[in-house]
Amino acid sequence: MIIEGGIVYDPINGVLGEEMDVSIEDGRVVEESRDGEKIDARGMLVLPGGVDAHAHIAGAKVNTGRIMRPEDGRRGTEARTKLLRPSTGYTVPNCYAIGYRYARLGYTCAFEAATPILEARHTHEELEEIPIVDKGALTLFGNNWEVLECVRDGDLEKLAAFVAWGLRASRGYGVKVVNPGGGEAWGFGGNVKGIDDPVPNFGVTAREIIRYLMRANEALRLPHSVHLHTNNLGKPGNYETTLATLRAVEDIASSRDRQVLHVTHMQFSAYGGTGWRDFESKAPEISDYFNKHDQFTMDMGQLIFGSATTMTADAPLEYGNARLLKAKWSNHDIELEESSGVVPLVYGRKNPINAIQWAIGLELALLTEDPWQMIMTTDHPNGGPFVNYPEVVALLMSRSKREKELATLHDLASKRSSLPSIEREMDWNEVAIVTRAGPARILGLAEKGHLGVGADGDVSIYDVNPEKVDPSKEHEEVKAALAGAKYTIKGGEVVVRDGEVVAVPQGRTYWVDASVPEDAEARVKADLVEKFAKYYSIQMSNYMVQDAYVTRPRVIRAGVI
Amino acid sequence: MKKVIIKPLREFWVPVEAERISPDIFAPLSIEEIRRLEVWEGNRKVTLSDLFMISGDDEPAPPGDNEIVLSGDFSRVKRIGEKMTSGTIVIKGDVGMHAGNGMSGGEILIDGNAGDWLGREMQGGKITVSGDAGEYVGAGYRGESCGMRGGEILVEGSAGDYLGEHLCGGTITVGGDAGDFPGIGNRGGAIVIGGNAHLPGAEMASGTITVRGRARVLPSFQRLETVEIDGIRFDKFLGDLVDDGKGELFAASVEDGGR
Ligand SMILES: [Zn+2]
Repeated sequence: MIIEGGIVYDPINGVLGEEMDVSIEDGRVVEESRDGEKIDARGMLVLPGGVDAHAHIAGAKVNTGRIMRPEDGRRGTEARTKLLRPSTGYTVPNCYAIGYRYARLGYTCAFEAATPILEARHTHEELEEIPIVDKGALTLFGNNWEVLECVRDGDLEKLAAFVAWGLRASRGYGVKVVNPGGGEAWGFGGNVKGIDDPVPNFGVTAREIIRYLMRANEALRLPHSVHLHTNNLGKPGNYETTLATLRAVEDIASSRDRQVLHVTHMQFSAYGGTGWRDFESKAPEISDYFNKHDQFTMDMGQLIFGSATTMTADAPLEYGNARLLKAKWSNHDIELEESSGVVPLVYGRKNPINAIQWAIGLELALLTEDPWQMIMTTDHPNGGPFVNYPEVVALLMSRSKREKELATLHDLASKRSSLPSIEREMDWNEVAIVTRAGPARILGLAEKGHLGVGADGDVSIYDVNPEKVDPSKEHEEVKAALAGAKYTIKGGEVVVRDGEVVAVPQGRTYWVDASVPEDAEARVKADLVEKFAKYYSIQMSNYMVQDAYVTRPRVIRAGVI
Repeated sequence: MKKVIIKPLREFWVPVEAERISPDIFAPLSIEEIRRLEVWEGNRKVTLSDLFMISGDDEPAPPGDNEIVLSGDFSRVKRIGEKMTSGTIVIKGDVGMHAGNGMSGGEILIDGNAGDWLGREMQGGKITVSGDAGEYVGAGYRGESCGMRGGEILVEGSAGDYLGEHLCGGTITVGGDAGDFPGIGNRGGAIVIGGNAHLPGAEMASGTITVRGRARVLPSFQRLETVEIDGIRFDKFLGDLVDDGKGELFAASVEDGGR
């Protein structure tokens, strides 16, 4: 296949809006293709396929969201066609809709952001049913008893062996840490108040948990860094916790050519104020810190007005949400590993808190100077559903759109944030970074996010001419073009044409197989045998994700030997 | 009065989704147009005339002046009268799940038994069943925070489990027994059960449940006093205290076990 004459942005290979051809053969980008298939992309924007590094798209809590929200299911119904299975849902779409909607946006890869090992089989059962996109899942480690014990005992080698085992057991891709220590404390109705508050029964602190897991992550040379949801997330004044967390790990070095820590959905962790009354943005402080520390990355967690379904392993946070909003609430105890919660809510333009939160996400993206440190996300569906990505991109590219939106919001959005004064408008190169090249590099996916020879043949083509359309003024046009790709090409196959899904291949599932010394592995196994005998509700043999659950694996090797 | 009579042409093996059988939809249509209305039988789209014999008045009439008479076995026909606002549906036979979903006015008279989810999330109007009704009468769909919000359901026979689940308003009266957990999660409205009930009012926040027969009462209900209503003595309870509820439960006889 040859994609002819498009205007290509490929930041990883230094291509900045050049008119050029892209050739794909056998699913990969090549110098020259001979199969004769041609796609006319003249006058159109050509980008590597989009990569979503953080979304909640598969597993137990997503399904709980669906069960809790019949009204959401009815919102997105599309009947089946000869090719497509039926779609349902807006914030919590069914599996098919997730794949189709990503493809229509020009996304070809999406990672589920939080899977407890105990529920990883469910996650993979759903990932298998998500069509088209490649995917992976991050595994939760931040409240796992084995982790807490290794940290307490100062046993880094055993911790690394357990992380390797946990990734294999869950067929997981990376180390996710959510409110470290807080999830365990929630088992007793408590939480931790900051990074130095000891976890009940273990005596360790979030500071120690994060540091140890980062060191284990780097010892194993995992493709992705630790992926952190901070303590005190969602609370006024939490930016201090966020900055304290980052300062606590400044001395740790990355083992690979990538960040040493990814802080996720930063919007929820960049709050000032002593309570909701004086709630304000501290995005400038956070971005300022990032501008001086290039070893850290973040994603936005942008808020979208309207319906959202919050779902997280941060169970005490969800308890607070449910009480505050008198909303439906699901709470879940995941045995020795985590706790979790789900609360549906509606973000309102005239709600002062929501309006400020909306501004914070944009401030973070625009004040963080290096786009390689930033990923565009909505923490789907916590900040809002991923189908709104074109809206977010349009906001990043157009100050006039931001002003227009600000005028419809509670005026505290302008008074308690710096957004009105921000002039920056992202260009197409920066957009290509924050939606593709950056997330691929941050996840450590070598064959994603670019169009160099050997890259996956994943390309999105949008009917917008970067040489003619001024995104600053014509933001509506930009948004419309991004919402329905002219073409989405996945592995060299056209899957979307004119915004409609025309082919439904099955994507691959990334997971990381990290090797560790045998004796360390044996010590972990001994601990686990005891834990399963004493505490778990299931047998270890029913716990591991078997190969049958991951039918098209893409295994990335890592480890210490 | 515009009258339309519908009879099944055959037995149905898979459910028919017939939300189009409603006075609001029939009102402006001729019989020929009604025959051409689309419904789903399982996963196949068909017209009403593929499944039913349809006869009656051709002239349009306001919805309130419409009567639809369904005669035969409609036990696999779902969603009859969904979202109707006025008019009358008379069913001479059994009716399937979700009859009167979300209706806000008018009347459904069922001379037979009703399936599950009768009057789900209904807001007004009246449903009468001469026989029994299935599970989730007047309930909300799973995950919905409010079931029935208004109107009236009268079941002369017995009802299944989860009667009036998440009831937020309106009245449900059952002549016979109710199954497990009638009035679970209630936030308003009134339920009267002529016979017996098992664990009524779990997690209720407000509203009233009256059990004229015997009830097994949850330990999280507080017995307040004995009251007399229409010559019957009832134990009055407050609950559900696990949810700090202010609901009222009246039981003529309390089953032993637990309390
Ligand atoms: Zn998330």
